Amino acid sequence: MSAIIHCSGVWKRYGKSARGIKELLIGSRKIVESRYSREWALQDVNFEVKRGESFGVVGHNGTGKSTLLSLLLGTMQPDRGNIRIDGRVASLLELGAGFHPELSGRENIFLYGSILGMTLAEIRKHFDSIVAFSELESAIESPIRTYSSGMIARLGFSTIIHTPVDVLLIDEVLAVGDSHFKTKCQDFLHDFKERQGTLVIVSHELQTLEDMCTTGMCMNLGQIVKIGDIAGVIKHYGALMNSCG
Amino acid sequence: MFDRIPKKSWINIDRQPISVRIRHSFELLYLLVQKELRVRYKNSVLGYLWALANPFAFAVVYYFAFKVIMRVEMPNYSTFLLTGMFPWIWLTNGLVQATGSYRNNASLVKKVNLERYVLPLSNIVHEMVHFCFTLPVLGFFIYFTGGELHFSWLWQLPLVMLLQLVMVYPVALMLALANVYVHDVEYLLGIGLSLLFFLTPIVYPVTQAPSIYRYYFEWSPLAELISVWRGVLLEGQITPSPLAYCACVAATASLAAYLVYRSASPKLGELL
Repeated sequence: MSAIIHCSGVWKRYGKSARGIKELLIGSRKIVESRYSREWALQDVNFEVKRGESFGVVGHNGTGKSTLLSLLLGTMQPDRGNIRIDGRVASLLELGAGFHPELSGRENIFLYGSILGMTLAEIRKHFDSIVAFSELESAIESPIRTYSSGMIARLGFSTIIHTPVDVLLIDEVLAVGDSHFKTKCQDFLHDFKERQGTLVIVSHELQTLEDMCTTGMCMNLGQIVKIGDIAGVIKHYGALMNSCG
Repeated sequence: MFDRIPKKSWINIDRQPISVRIRHSFELLYLLVQKELRVRYKNSVLGYLWALANPFAFAVVYYFAFKVIMRVEMPNYSTFLLTGMFPWIWLTNGLVQATGSYRNNASLVKKVNLERYVLPLSNIVHEMVHFCFTLPVLGFFIYFTGGELHFSWLWQLPLVMLLQLVMVYPVALMLALANVYVHDVEYLLGIGLSLLFFLTPIVYPVTQAPSIYRYYFEWSPLAELISVWRGVLLEGQITPSPLAYCACVAATASLAAYLVYRSASPKLGELL
C-alpha cells in the first residue's frame, strides 16, 4: 500500500500578531511566558500514513496535535516543510461549525454539506442517507435551534461522513450522542477503513486508540518522540506522562 | 539544529479540478445568500414582502420629509435622492457586513477548508438581491412623480449593477482581510462611510458643491458611480466616460485585492 499522507520536515510557529491599531502602532505586546510558549509549535515533523491505515496521535495538551490536524486539513500553512495528501480530506474537528440555528435541519444539511466541499448533486444524492443515519427524520423540517446538542452533533456527524473523502481527521469527537449513536459511529469508522479510507485520530482515550488504530505517534512539545506500532506508542506516552508527574 | 530547517514550504492537498471548484464556489455562494435571506425574514409576518415594503416605506418617509416638510426647491428632489440613496445603501450594508465576515465566521475559517473569498462575496451579493427589490419601488416612484420608464433599463440596470459589484467586492475583500489583522477596521469603516456619504453627491447635486471641490468630484469613483446610476435611472442613458472611469477603478481594485488575498488568506486560520 502506498502512502496517502506525506509530511516531511514540517515546522510551524505562531506569529505574535497585533490585536488592534494601538498595538500595531506602538508595536510591543506583552508576551506571557508559559509552558505552552515556545518558539516552534511543531518542530521537524516527519511521518507518512498509508492508505487504509488508522493513525493515532497522542501527547499532552498544547503539544501541537491540533496544529498538526489544521495543517493536514489545509486551514493553516506550514512555515517550513512539505505536506502532500493524495486525496480529499475532511475533519471532524468541530461538528456543525456552519450550522445556523434558525434554519431547518434540511436547509442546514445543504449549507453545511456545501461548506464541507460537497457539490449540490452530491448532497442531493446522499440527502436521504444523511437523514437516515442521523435518525432525525421527524425533526428535519424544524429549525435546529429546537434541537438538543446531541441531535446537532448527530446531524453534523452524518453530514461529514457522507462527504466523499479519502482521509478523515478526528479530534476527540468519538463521544457523540448516546451509546446507541456511538456504536453506529464506530461501525461507520470500521466500514470506512474497510473501504480503504484513512483515519488520523487525536485522542486522550487510549483504549479507543488501541482499538481503532494500527500505527501512531506520540508527540511532546511539538516534536515526535515515538512513532510506529500503536501499542508501543501508548506505552511510551504512559511513561512520558509518569515522568512529568 | 536550525540549519536542518528546510527553506521552502508547500502544501499539496489533492483538490478537485478547477472547473468543479468554480462550480462549487457558485453553489456555496448561492446557498450562503439563500441562508442570509431566509434568516432575515424568518419569523416575520410579512416574510419576503419586507424586501419590498422596507424600501417603499423608506421612500415614502423621504418623500414626506423633503417634499412636504423641508420643501426642497429642486424639481423631483425625492426621485433624485432615491436614485442615489438605494445604490448607496447596497454599498454601505454590503461593505459593513463583508468586513466582519471572517471574524464573525471564525469557526468556519479555522475548521473547514473552504474557498475563503466566497464569504465576503456572499454578503455583497446578499445586499445586491435586496437592491434588486428596491428597483420596482424606484420605478414606481419615478412613474408616480411624472418621470419616464425606459425599456433600455433591461440591459442597462444589470450592467451597472455588475459594475458596482466589481467595484465594491474587491474593496470588501481587502477590508475583511485587514479586519482580521486589525480589528479597528470595522469601526473606522463606519466613520469613513458616514463621511463618504456626504462627500458623495447623494443628497445634493454636484452643481451645488463649491466649485473649488469640483476637481475632487471628478476624480471620486463613488461620485462617478452615482452619476452613472442617475444617468440610467433618470434619463435612461449610460454616460460613457464615468462608466469607463469606474471600470478602470474596478480593474485596479480587483488586481490589488487579488494580490492581497493571495498573500493574506492562507494566514487567516491562525490569526483568528
